[in-house]
Amino acid sequence: MQNIQLKESLYEGQKIHHPKTWLTKYIFSQDHKTVATQYFFLSLLTGVVGVILSIVMRLQLGFPGVFDISPDTYYQSITMHGMIMVIYLLTAILLGGFGNYLIPLMLGARDMAFPFVNMMSVHFYALSVLLLFTSYLVPGGPTGAGWTLYPPQVLLPGTPGYDWGIVMMILSIAVFIIAFTMGGLNYVTTVLQSRARGMSLMRMPLVIWCIFLATVIGLLAFPALLVAGIMLLLDRLIGSSFFMPDIFQFGQHVTNVFGTEYEGGSPLLFQHLFWFFGHPEVYIVALPMFGIVSELISCHARKNIFGYKMMVWALIVITAISFIVWAHHMFVAGMNPVLGFFFATTTLIIAIPTAIKVYNWVLTLWKGDIHMTVPMHYAVGFIFTFIIGGLGGLFLGNVSVDVELSDTYFVVGHFHVVMGISPILAMCGGVHHWFPLITGRTMNNFLGKIHFWGTFSGAYLIYIPMHYLGLGGILRRYYDFQGLAYVSDSLKDMNIFITLASIVVGLIQFIFLFNIIWSYFKGKKVGKNPWKATTLEWQTTTMPPGHGNWPNNLPVVHRWPYDYSVPGASEDYIPQNVPINLDTSGENSNE
Amino acid sequence: MNDLVKDWSSDVSTFKIRWSKAMMWIFLISDTFIFGTFLISYMAIRLTVVDSWPDTSQVFALHIGGTEVPLLLIAIMTFILISSSGTMAIAVNAANKKDKKKSGLFMLLTIIGGIAFVSMQAFEWTKLIIDEGIRPWGNDFGSQQFGSFFFMITGFHGLHVLIGVIYLSIVSKRLLAGRYERIDDYQIVEVAGLYWHFVDLVWVFIFAFFYLW
Amino acid sequence: MMASIVFAIFTLLVIVFNYYSIENDFWFPELASNWGALDTATLMTLIISGIVFVGLSLFICYCLVRFRHKENSKAEYQIENNKLESWLAAVTTIGVIILLAPGLMVYSDLINEPEDSLKIEAIGEQWTWSFRLPGADGFFGKTHPKHFDLNNSFGLDPTDQYAQDDILIKSNILHLPIDKAVSLSLRSKDVLHDFYVPQFRVKMDMVPGQLTKLWFEPTIEGRYEILCAEYCGIQHTNMRGLVVVESEEKYKKWLSEQVIFANTSIDITSNSNNQEILSGENLSISLGCIACHSLDGSKNVGPSWKGIFGTERTLINGTKLLADRLYIEESIIKPNSKILMGFAPIMPIYNLDDKELDLIVEYIESLN
Repeated sequence: MQNIQLKESLYEGQKIHHPKTWLTKYIFSQDHKTVATQYFFLSLLTGVVGVILSIVMRLQLGFPGVFDISPDTYYQSITMHGMIMVIYLLTAILLGGFGNYLIPLMLGARDMAFPFVNMMSVHFYALSVLLLFTSYLVPGGPTGAGWTLYPPQVLLPGTPGYDWGIVMMILSIAVFIIAFTMGGLNYVTTVLQSRARGMSLMRMPLVIWCIFLATVIGLLAFPALLVAGIMLLLDRLIGSSFFMPDIFQFGQHVTNVFGTEYEGGSPLLFQHLFWFFGHPEVYIVALPMFGIVSELISCHARKNIFGYKMMVWALIVITAISFIVWAHHMFVAGMNPVLGFFFATTTLIIAIPTAIKVYNWVLTLWKGDIHMTVPMHYAVGFIFTFIIGGLGGLFLGNVSVDVELSDTYFVVGHFHVVMGISPILAMCGGVHHWFPLITGRTMNNFLGKIHFWGTFSGAYLIYIPMHYLGLGGILRRYYDFQGLAYVSDSLKDMNIFITLASIVVGLIQFIFLFNIIWSYFKGKKVGKNPWKATTLEWQTTTMPPGHGNWPNNLPVVHRWPYDYSVPGASEDYIPQNVPINLDTSGENSNE
Repeated sequence: MNDLVKDWSSDVSTFKIRWSKAMMWIFLISDTFIFGTFLISYMAIRLTVVDSWPDTSQVFALHIGGTEVPLLLIAIMTFILISSSGTMAIAVNAANKKDKKKSGLFMLLTIIGGIAFVSMQAFEWTKLIIDEGIRPWGNDFGSQQFGSFFFMITGFHGLHVLIGVIYLSIVSKRLLAGRYERIDDYQIVEVAGLYWHFVDLVWVFIFAFFYLW
Repeated sequence: MMASIVFAIFTLLVIVFNYYSIENDFWFPELASNWGALDTATLMTLIISGIVFVGLSLFICYCLVRFRHKENSKAEYQIENNKLESWLAAVTTIGVIILLAPGLMVYSDLINEPEDSLKIEAIGEQWTWSFRLPGADGFFGKTHPKHFDLNNSFGLDPTDQYAQDDILIKSNILHLPIDKAVSLSLRSKDVLHDFYVPQFRVKMDMVPGQLTKLWFEPTIEGRYEILCAEYCGIQHTNMRGLVVVESEEKYKKWLSEQVIFANTSIDITSNSNNQEILSGENLSISLGCIACHSLDGSKNVGPSWKGIFGTERTLINGTKLLADRLYIEESIIKPNSKILMGFAPIMPIYNLDDKELDLIVEYIESLN
C-alpha cells in the first residue's frame, strides 16, 4: 500500500466547518448530517404533494366525472406526480438523504470532501422544488404532457401548460441537476478519497457501493437530460426547431414565438436523449435501495451478506449495462426497427446480475438468525415486491411482447412496483433502522408494522390488478374509459377497486410520517448500537454523532463490514474497527 | 497493471491525489457528457434534415482587403485558445516549482488569450446576426437548424471560457498576492489548469465537427 | 412466524387472482389478427415468471420460519459459495435465453411485412384519424407539409402524377378485407400519436416529420375500435376510430364509394347552396370539429351540433342565452369566452376567415 504524505492530514480527518450562528448551524449548515436531514425533510414534504396528486388521479379513474376533475387537471396531475416522485422524492431522498448521512459515517470520515458545496446542493434543491411548484402560479398552469415531456405536444396548444408551465418545469429540472451535480461530486470524491485507514474499497458496506455507483450513473446520465431540456427550452423561447418538425395543427401551420414555422426537427431525438437519462435514472433509484436492503438483511438476520464480492461485481455490471438499454422505452416509438434486437438483448442481459442480487439476499436469509424486527419486515417485503416488479420487466424488455403491452397499464403497474412500492419499503426500513443513530430514540414498532403491511399489500391489491388491466389492453394516460366496447365491465369494476385500495394505501403513508414526528419527541430512548451492527456509523461515541463524528481519532478499520455470527466469537457481531485478534469483548477470539 | 490493482485495493484513497483535483476530474467527465450530447444531437439532426446544410467555409469567411478568406477568424481563435493552453501548462509547471512570478505571468497570458477568444466569438456572433441575418429560427444559407445549433453550442462553450477566465483571474490574483506561497501549496493552479485544458479540448471538437465538416 | 404466513398468503393470492381474471374476462381481448404468436410469447413469459415468483416467494417464507430467531439460535458464517452462484447465474441465463430467443424470432416476423400485403396509409392528427390508399397505380402520391391546407387535408402534392388516383378516406372508419395482410404506413400531421387496435395486437407511434409502419392480417370479421396509444393532448382519450373487417365483396363496394384526390378540389367560393353545405361539412371534418362535437345529439367533449342553432342554452355561470349565429361564430374564434353548462373550457382557437366561418355556421344550422 503506497503511503504518500499528503498535505491534508487525512488521518486526523478533514478540516470541517464550525458553525457559530443559528443560521450557519441549522439553515446553511455544512455538516453532512444536517444537510441530510434537510434533504429528508424537503423530499418527504414534496412526496406528500405527490401522494395527494395520485389520489386526485385515481378518483377520476375510478369514478369518472363524479369529482369534476377536468382533463386539464388530470393530465397536469399525472405530469407533476411523475416528476415529483421520480426526481424530487426518490432521487433526492436516496442520494441526498441517505447518501449524505451515511457516507462519511460509514467510511470513518468527519464530513464530505467539500462541505460548502454540499450545503449549496441542498439549497439549490430547495430552489428547484420552489420553481417546480411555481408552475401552478403561471398562466396555463403546470405542463400536462406526462413526466416524459415529449415534444411536439409539450409545446403546442392542446396540451396544458404548453406556454409557461413547461418553461418552469425545465428551469426547475436544470436547477435540480446543478444541485445533484454538486452533491454527486461530493459523494464520489469522498468515497474515492476520504476513507478511514484500513477501509479499502472491498471493505465498504454495500450501501456505500450502491450509493457511490448510483452517483456515478447520475453524473453521466443527467447531462443528457440537461441538454434535452435546454434544447426544448430553446425551441419554446427562441424559435429553434431541434425537436419540432413541420406541424399542421387545427387547420394551421404552427409557428414559433417569432412567427416563423417550425421545421426539420426530430421528436425522436428528444426521446433518445430523455431515455438515455431516463433509464439510468431508475438505477439511480434502484441501487441505493438495493444497498439499504443489503444492510438491513445482514444486520437483522445476524448473517453476513452472501457473496459480497459477487454483489459488488453485479453492481458494477448493472451500472455499466444500464447505459445501453435505454431504447427499450422506445420499441414502438418509430425508431429503426432493427435496434429492437439490440436493446431487447441488453435489457434481458441486465436481468442476470439483478437476479444474482436477489438470490444473494435470499441466501443471506438461509441459515440465518432472523429477527423479525420492523426493518426486517421492510427488507423482506422489498424482496417480494422487487421480484414481482423485476419479473414484469422481463415482459417489457422482450421486444415482441412489449409491442402488445407498451403504453398499457402493464407498464404503469410494472414501474409503480419497482419505483413506488419497493423504494418506499426500502426507504422506510432504512429510516426505522437508522432512526436511533440520528435521534437516539427508536420509532414505534406497532405503527411501523401497520404502515408496512398497508404499503406492502398495496403492491398486491393495487398493482397486480393493474398488470392485468394492461394485458386486457387498457391504455395509459387515458382520462376515462367511457364508450370503449372492448373493455368489459369487470375491468371497469377493477378500476374502482384499485382506486379505493390506493386511497387507503396513500393515507396509510401518513402513519409513517406521524411515526417519525412522534418518535422524534416521544420515542423510547436507547443505548448505543441497539441493533448490534458491525458498520462504522454505529461505533461513534454518541447517538446522534457529534460534530465531526469522532471526537478524537478517526477509527481504523480491520475487517470487512459483515462479521456477524463469527464462530468462536463471544458475541454474534464484531464491529469493523475491532482488531483481528480481538473481538468485541476484548478477548482473543478463536479465529 | 500491478499499480492499478494496488491503487484500487488500497485503503483511504484510491487515487493518490488531492480531493480537489479528484473532484475537478469527475466534474470534467460529467461536463464531457454534456458537450458530447450537444455534439451528438447536432450530428443526428444534421444527418437527417431535409434542407441542405450551409457551407461553413462560406458562412464563416472574413472579407479582408477585397478577398474572401474562409474560416480565418476561426483559425485565429483556435490558435489563440490552443496557445493559451500552452501558457497555462507553463504556468502549472512554474507553480509546481514554486516560482510565483513566472506562474502568475503565464496565468495572466492565459487570461488574455481567453478574453481575446471570447471577444472574437462575440464579434463573430455580431457579424452573423447583424450582417448575415442568421437567427435561431432561420437563415439564408440553408437549414434552419444551422443557426440554432451554432448559437447554442458556441454559446455554451463561450460561457465555459468566460467562467474559466473569471476562475483563473481569482486564482492568479491570490497567487500573486502570495496566498499560496504562505501555505506552501500551489495545487490549485494545477486544478484550474485542468479546467482550462478541458475547455480547449472541447473547442477542438467543436471546431472539427461544426466548422470543418 | 405470523409474518411468514401472511407473506405466503399474499403469494397464493396472486395465483388465485390469475384464475379469477381468466374466468372474469379480464385477459387478452379476443384475437382478431394473425399475431397469436405475441399472445403465446406473453403467456410463456407469464408462466415462467409465475413459477419463479411463486417458487422464490415460498422459499423465502420457508426461510423466515425455519431460521427465525430462537433461544440460542446462531447463523452460519459462510462468506460466499462461488459454485452455487455460478450455477444460479447459469440457470438464470438459460431462462433469459428461453424467453429472448422466441421473442426475437417473432420480432423478426413483426418487422418484415409480406410482399403482397395491401398498402394503406393511416394519418393521425389531433384528434381524429384519416386514411389513404395508393389507388390504381399502386403508388402513394408525394406529400409535403407545405401543401396542407383546409382543402388539402392530406398534404398531397397536386403536381405529382401518382397522387391523382390516391383514394382519400376522410372519416375515421377504415374498412378492410378479411384474411389479407395489410401493411399500414403511418404518419402524423401534428404531434405524436399511436395506431392501436387491441384485437390486432400491434401498435406503432405516428411521428410528425417521419414515416413509420406496422403490418397485420385481420382474421375475424367484425368492428374494432382504433385507439390512440401515445399521449397527444387533452383529447387523447377521445381520439377513436373504427376498423370494419368484412368480406372481399363488401370491401370492394365500400372502396368504390370513396373519393380520389383528383376529384376533391372543391371550390369553396361556389354560390350553390348544396356546394356550401358540402364544404362546411368538409371543413368540419378536416379541422377535426367532429372529434368533439357529435352530429347526432349525443354528448361528447363539446356540445352536439344537432339541434343547437337558435335554441336557448345555459352557460356555466347560470345565465341563459340564445345560440344564434353570433354566438356560434364567437364560440369558434373565441372558444372559451362563453362555455355552456356541463362542458369544460378546453376548445382550441381556430383562426378562420369570414368565408370559412360562414360555411361552418351554415352547416351547423343545416343540422337542425
